[in-house]
Amino acid sequence: MSAGPAAEREPGSYRDPSGFVFRSGGVLYRQVNQSFADEWAAFESSGLHAALLAKGILIADEPAPLDLAFEPGAVAVIRPEEIGFVSYPFEWSFSQLKDAALLTLAAQALAGEHGMTLRDASAYNVQFLRGRPIMIDTLSFERAAADQPWKPYRQFCEHFLAPLALMARRDGRLGLLLRTYVDGIPLDLASQLLPRGTRWSPGLAAHVHLHARAQRQHADEGRDAAPKAVTMSATRRLALLDHLRRTVEGLRLPASGTEWADYADQTSYSSVGTASKEAIVGAMLTAVGGRHAWDVGANTGRYSAIAAQAGYDVVALDSDWAAVERHHLALRKAGEQRIMPLLADLADPSPAIGWANRERSSLLERANADVVVALALIHHLAIGRNVPLGMVSDLLADLAPHLIIEFVPKGDPMVRRLLATREDIFSDYTLDGFRAAFAPRFTIVEETGVEDSTRVIFRMKRRDP
Amino acid sequence: MHLVFAYIDPGAGSLVIQAIIAGIVSIPFFFRNAIRSTIGRFRRKPTSGDAVSESAVPEDKGASPTHPE
Repeated sequence: MSAGPAAEREPGSYRDPSGFVFRSGGVLYRQVNQSFADEWAAFESSGLHAALLAKGILIADEPAPLDLAFEPGAVAVIRPEEIGFVSYPFEWSFSQLKDAALLTLAAQALAGEHGMTLRDASAYNVQFLRGRPIMIDTLSFERAAADQPWKPYRQFCEHFLAPLALMARRDGRLGLLLRTYVDGIPLDLASQLLPRGTRWSPGLAAHVHLHARAQRQHADEGRDAAPKAVTMSATRRLALLDHLRRTVEGLRLPASGTEWADYADQTSYSSVGTASKEAIVGAMLTAVGGRHAWDVGANTGRYSAIAAQAGYDVVALDSDWAAVERHHLALRKAGEQRIMPLLADLADPSPAIGWANRERSSLLERANADVVVALALIHHLAIGRNVPLGMVSDLLADLAPHLIIEFVPKGDPMVRRLLATREDIFSDYTLDGFRAAFAPRFTIVEETGVEDSTRVIFRMKRRDP
Repeated sequence: MHLVFAYIDPGAGSLVIQAIIAGIVSIPFFFRNAIRSTIGRFRRKPTSGDAVSESAVPEDKGASPTHPE
C-alpha cells in the first residue's frame, strides 16, 4: 500500500482533505481520497475533466496504479504533468496575475456548464506552463448544489482581485504583499490602501470595499447563534462571476514605466557592441549545452530570447516589476513558450513561506538551472548593493554548475552613474579582483571582450567540491 | 437552515455581501444577455459563445428583450 520510504508528501499540499500531492521515486503523483470519491466520479462523468483538458485550462494527467497510493484511503492516484519551474503569485507581474485570475474564472465558467463548480480559487493553484497559465489542482472541482453562493468568492478576492487592484490603482510593487500574506491580502487592508477614488468604481466598491465592510460586520457571526444560510440562484451566481470577470478585465496598469523598463534601450552599448554581445552569449550558451537557463537581471528579455533560441527553457528574473510586466506582455504577444519572466531580486530572493516555512519554497530551493546568465548585473550587486564579489560568486555557484557572466568595469558609463552619488569604497572591483574573487568556486573556461566596449564576458564552470 | 460545506472558510460576511452584489448585478446581466440573444436571432444564427441563453435566465421577470440598433 505504501509507496515506500522514497515517497514524500509535498509540504504545501495539506489544506484539502480530498487528496494531496506526493513525490515518489522522483515522480509527482496526486492521491484522491475516498471522501472525495463521488465528486471525483462526477468530475469525470460530467465531461468537465475532458473539457478542461481540451481547452488547456487544467494540467494534463494520466491514471497511475492505485497501489502507488501514499497512504490508505485512496480511491485513485493520478500522475499530473510536471511544471518545469514552479513560481508563486508574488513573483508574477500584474498581467501574469491577471491572466491567472481570468483563467480561474474561465475554469469556473466551464465547470458551470457541466453542473460543477470550483471549490477554491487559490492563486497557488495556477502555474505557468509553456508560456500560459494553467490550473494544477485537479481536485478543485465539485458538483454545484442548487441555490448555493460561490464559495471561493472570498478567496478569489483576497488572492486575485485585491492584489490586482492595489497594483493597478495604487502601486505596481504592492503585488509583493502576497509574499507576506500567503492566504491572500486581507480585504480590510486592501480597502484602506486603495485610493479613495476606487470607491466610485463599481467593481472595486463592491468586491473590495463593501466586501471588507461586510466581513467586519459579520465577524462575530456564529458566536451566539448559528449563522443564517445564504442562498443564491444559479443566474445570480453567473451574474456575480460575470461581474468579477469584468472587474478584473477592467483593471489596467497606468501607462508610465519605471527607470528600469526603458533600460534595455539606454545601455552603454553601441549597435556593434550589442551585436557582438549577442553573438558571444549565444555561442557560450550553445557551448554549455544545457536545458535550463536562468537569466538573472533579464530586464525585458533580450538575452532570454537568445537562450530560448539556443534551446533552453529560461527563467528570466528581474527585480523590477515593470520590466517583468513588459517582458511577459511581449512574450504573450509573440506566443513564446520557453521563457518564464519572474519578479525576483537576487540580493533578496523569495523566502520560503507558509506553514513551517515549507509550504512555499524559497527561490534558491527551486533553482533548476544548468547555466546562470548574469549580464550587466555584477555592478548592481557589487556596487549598488555592496555585496562583496566573493559572495556573489558563492551564490551563483550554488545556483548552477555553469555561469556566463559579464564584468562591467568602473570606466563603464553605467558604473560611473552608480558611483556618481557615493564614495568609491570598491577597491577590489577590477577585472583582476573579479577573477580572483570567482577563482575559489569557478574555473574560467573562456573570456571574450565585447566589441566597441570595455566589458568582458566570461564562461565559467563550477569547481567540484 | 444549512451551512455551506467547504474546506475553505467562505466567510459569513463574504457570503452575505456576494448575495447582495449578485442581486444587483443580475439586473444589467439579464439585459445584456437579452440584448445579445436578440442580436443573435437577427444575425445568421445564434452565437454559441453566449455565456447564458435566455432560457437560463428564469428570474428577474418583466424585462423584455430590446432591439439593440
